[in-house]
Amino acid sequence: MIRKDTLLYKLTQLHWFLLLTIIALATFGSLVLFSAGSSAHDLETGLLKIDATMSIAHMWRFILMLGVMLAVSLLPLRLWASLAYPGYAIGVVLLLLVEVAGNIVNGSQRWLTIGPLTLQPSELMKIAVPLALARFYHQMFAAGRSELWIHIVAFIMVAIPVAFVLKQPDLGTSLMILGTGCGVIFFAGISLRVVAGIMLLVAVMAPVVYFFGLHDYQRERIHTMVDPNADPLGAGYQLLQGQIAIGSGGLAGKGFMEGAQKELEYIPEQNTDFIFTIIAEEFGFVGAMVMLAAWAIAIVQGMVIAGTSRSSFGSLAASGFVTTLMLYVGINIGMVIGLLPVVGIPLPLISYGGTAIVTVMIGFGLLMAVHLNRANDMTLRGLL
Amino acid sequence: MNRDWKNLFPSRRMIFLGAGGVVLLGLTARLAELQLFRQAEFETKAREVRIKLEPAPPHRGTIYDRSGRELASSKRNFYVTLRPEVASQDRDLQKRRQEIGEVIERVGRLLRLSEAKKRTLLQDATTPPGHRDILIADDLTWEEFAQVNVMAPELAGISAEVGELRSYPLQAAFYHTIGYVQKANEADIQRMVEHELTVAGEAPDSPEGKARATAVRRLYKHPAMRVGKQGIEAYGELALKGDPGKVRLLQNATGRVIDRLPSEDLAGKPGADVVLSVDADLQNFAIQRFGSEAGSAVMIDVATGEVMCMVSTPAPDPNLFVSGIASAPYKALREDERNPLYHKAYDGVYNPGSTFKIVVAAAALETGAMDPEDTVPCSGKAWYYNRFYNCWKPEGHGTMNLRTGLKNSCDCYFYRAAERTGIEEIAKVAKRFGLGHRYELGITGGKAGVVPNNEWKLNHPRIKERWYPGDTISAGIGQGYVTATPFEMAVMIARAAGGAGMPDPHLIVNGLRVPDPTITPMGEFKPGVLELVRDGMLAVTEGGGTAAASGSLDPENKLPAPYTGARMAGKSGSAQVIGLDKYRDSRGRAISNDKLPWHLRDNALFVAYAPIDKPRYAVAVIVEHGVSGSRVGAPIARDLLAHALRTDPGARKAFVPKTRDIASADGAAQPT
Repeated sequence: MIRKDTLLYKLTQLHWFLLLTIIALATFGSLVLFSAGSSAHDLETGLLKIDATMSIAHMWRFILMLGVMLAVSLLPLRLWASLAYPGYAIGVVLLLLVEVAGNIVNGSQRWLTIGPLTLQPSELMKIAVPLALARFYHQMFAAGRSELWIHIVAFIMVAIPVAFVLKQPDLGTSLMILGTGCGVIFFAGISLRVVAGIMLLVAVMAPVVYFFGLHDYQRERIHTMVDPNADPLGAGYQLLQGQIAIGSGGLAGKGFMEGAQKELEYIPEQNTDFIFTIIAEEFGFVGAMVMLAAWAIAIVQGMVIAGTSRSSFGSLAASGFVTTLMLYVGINIGMVIGLLPVVGIPLPLISYGGTAIVTVMIGFGLLMAVHLNRANDMTLRGLL
Repeated sequence: MNRDWKNLFPSRRMIFLGAGGVVLLGLTARLAELQLFRQAEFETKAREVRIKLEPAPPHRGTIYDRSGRELASSKRNFYVTLRPEVASQDRDLQKRRQEIGEVIERVGRLLRLSEAKKRTLLQDATTPPGHRDILIADDLTWEEFAQVNVMAPELAGISAEVGELRSYPLQAAFYHTIGYVQKANEADIQRMVEHELTVAGEAPDSPEGKARATAVRRLYKHPAMRVGKQGIEAYGELALKGDPGKVRLLQNATGRVIDRLPSEDLAGKPGADVVLSVDADLQNFAIQRFGSEAGSAVMIDVATGEVMCMVSTPAPDPNLFVSGIASAPYKALREDERNPLYHKAYDGVYNPGSTFKIVVAAAALETGAMDPEDTVPCSGKAWYYNRFYNCWKPEGHGTMNLRTGLKNSCDCYFYRAAERTGIEEIAKVAKRFGLGHRYELGITGGKAGVVPNNEWKLNHPRIKERWYPGDTISAGIGQGYVTATPFEMAVMIARAAGGAGMPDPHLIVNGLRVPDPTITPMGEFKPGVLELVRDGMLAVTEGGGTAAASGSLDPENKLPAPYTGARMAGKSGSAQVIGLDKYRDSRGRAISNDKLPWHLRDNALFVAYAPIDKPRYAVAVIVEHGVSGSRVGAPIARDLLAHALRTDPGARKAFVPKTRDIASADGAAQPT
């Protein structure tokens, strides 16, 4: 019998089902990236072409992040709770710094260079915001409060980083942070009537925002989504070519490495944000549904973990992260198949490169930590 | 209350999961629509319409002479290409060879291609990478083009195109300076990739560097694209070439191009126009004047430093090279003993012979080693360091001073002058006259002649000896180690005529920046030195001088002012070809030059300027194996200078090309 206070015991208590789902998704991602670099009948030579560079790099990145994830999950949850506010504060300060001294990439200011490090503080906020909110609510609930004003305070905590990220401008990430934050507020029990009222307000305000609040290129993306055929060689090009790849995949797909659209460089960003086009083309409707099912399993498992936690900090942090996951997958696939306008959001664990894998794996680590500490009804007194 | 929330939380989770279910349902429905219900539609689209981005070769910059005559321009080009993967999609190499071979055979019959050419094409078309166009033939007549166009629908993979091709309207006249363009080979592409990466400052393994390398590679593989192989075409490749645009090609299922889609944001930028200081009329006149002789002439405008003509003759027609020259005529060019492929004016190093006496005279006067009135006796030979050195006139000149020494080109006088001055001082003055320097003119090639001294000899990889006093004696008459290119000799005579104020020589006046910061300045000589040397050169073309017959440029006083009745001053030279020593009789006297085989005869040199009072044009002429500088070189120099004075090209300001109208998204791009 293993003693309960050892690391080994903790390991046996990990949520193995969720862990296996994650590993399966990342391995699938590596496989897809292998296909993205290779071709069964290369157009130049007609021969088999193999390029596993991206695939191997993706696997290494995942293995490294798997280590980080385990470390996050095995450290005490109380530690993460104590880091919630400082993390949030540092994130806001960094966002402010980006505003002042950030690097401009693709016309947008997102990166901060500190010595050899390049940071994207907006990415950090995807984790820091739900953690800070969870801790805030935990303390409020412990103090017996559940009035509307605590939700208003929570919303302000969300709105500050969202405003900064929106100004970079990075619509995709700001929507992610806003969505995650609102998710936590929703889970924290804000009255459904208020929710309905806000949704009504958003519906009314949407046209106003569309015409006055968006940049030209953002408006163009929305227009493109509605009618990609309007300008098949311009703005709608990527979308249309992506849909041709997806649609031509059919029920069972063209087969591994048999995708034709990727070879002619028709689809920009096909290895990153538009990776789903390769999945749908080569593995067909069936393959796409299997992958969606894997994500659904991960999300449901996350919700189960949120439900079994005895502390409200754990429950809310877990549900916040699950919201992030759902937004990632939903927005990415939604945009690739033409249900949502094109915003730069990758498909986590599958898209090549990017910082999404870091965010998502730290999030899974926290989810696992909540699971390991589910029986602990934490008191957060005495924390910073 | 905490308890209230605990009761509320499960329902919130259910609402969330419900929303998630709706999202999943939405995604599934859309995927089903695309992949199940509209699969056929998308499959057709995927196969039928393909859009391919291809680089579009930009318009190459035109090269003009100083009057705006086109020396290198672009003409319309009808050409035919083959896309191998359209000609045959068979995966079996043998079958593919057969099918592609058939297409090449049929189009080859139409265009009367040789068997060898067809074999090369087939080899090319079946070697990976196959996903590119192969040039079948270009520079076609309209009739040939029309025929292929009519047949094209039956010939899979063949398409008839219209583009631009380089053309050299003056043919051989500027072969060596302008060079020519040709299809880029692997080495050219590699060179251009490295060059462009260096200019852009990108590492070859960085993502930007890789993208640039791919773009450069694809451009130079385009069937209508050429690369500068030598001359200005090669040196100025980056500027002349321009920036490639892109075309979007709409292809059908077989890869045939259905349509070209114009897109303004993808337009390229035409290359820069380049203007040379040379005058095509003078250049042509010089080439005609040389006739069948092999040689070189370089004329420089003393007032501006602009090169007026730069002739190396004979020369091939660069138009022969643009579409690839066959091996037999190329072999003939290579083996011609008159070296048509060799840029004699810029790459040819010759002993300057007696023309070097200008430098020795100036050095002797500058250092005070010789006084102008110091006399040297000449008996036909002189004794230095245990051996005799011969004068070119075996019976001797008698008593010589500086003026008569130059006038008669007396070797004995200059043996003495060199001995007294010493090689180090001669070398310094030679550098100040512009010798021993490779001039950066904006063309490929170019050599620096040798201005020898003790240090040079010690460091020379094959000699590695100290300087012997006897070496100085040979150097005194421009023999031995002293060498110069015709271009350097032209600078030497231009500086002798113009003095310290003469601007640095240059060939390009507009379109390319060609800095040459390492030119040795002439500097001021002691008062009277240059005047005495010029006076000596004037004596050369006066009665009794070595080139007395060529002195007057305007015997009938027909030239307009200020050139009316102009005369020239100059210096002849006849330089032995290396290895001639053994062609001497038992008494050490040279066998008469005219009786030697052509390639062993002396080179004939003449350097001159005109008019004598206010020098404007300076010219260096070398006639390879022409035997006598004064008999063969001087008349050519005289005629070139007379022609230059008659047409006075240096007085006309150089042509400035008009701004080209460019249809480009970012407005008219002005080449600099």
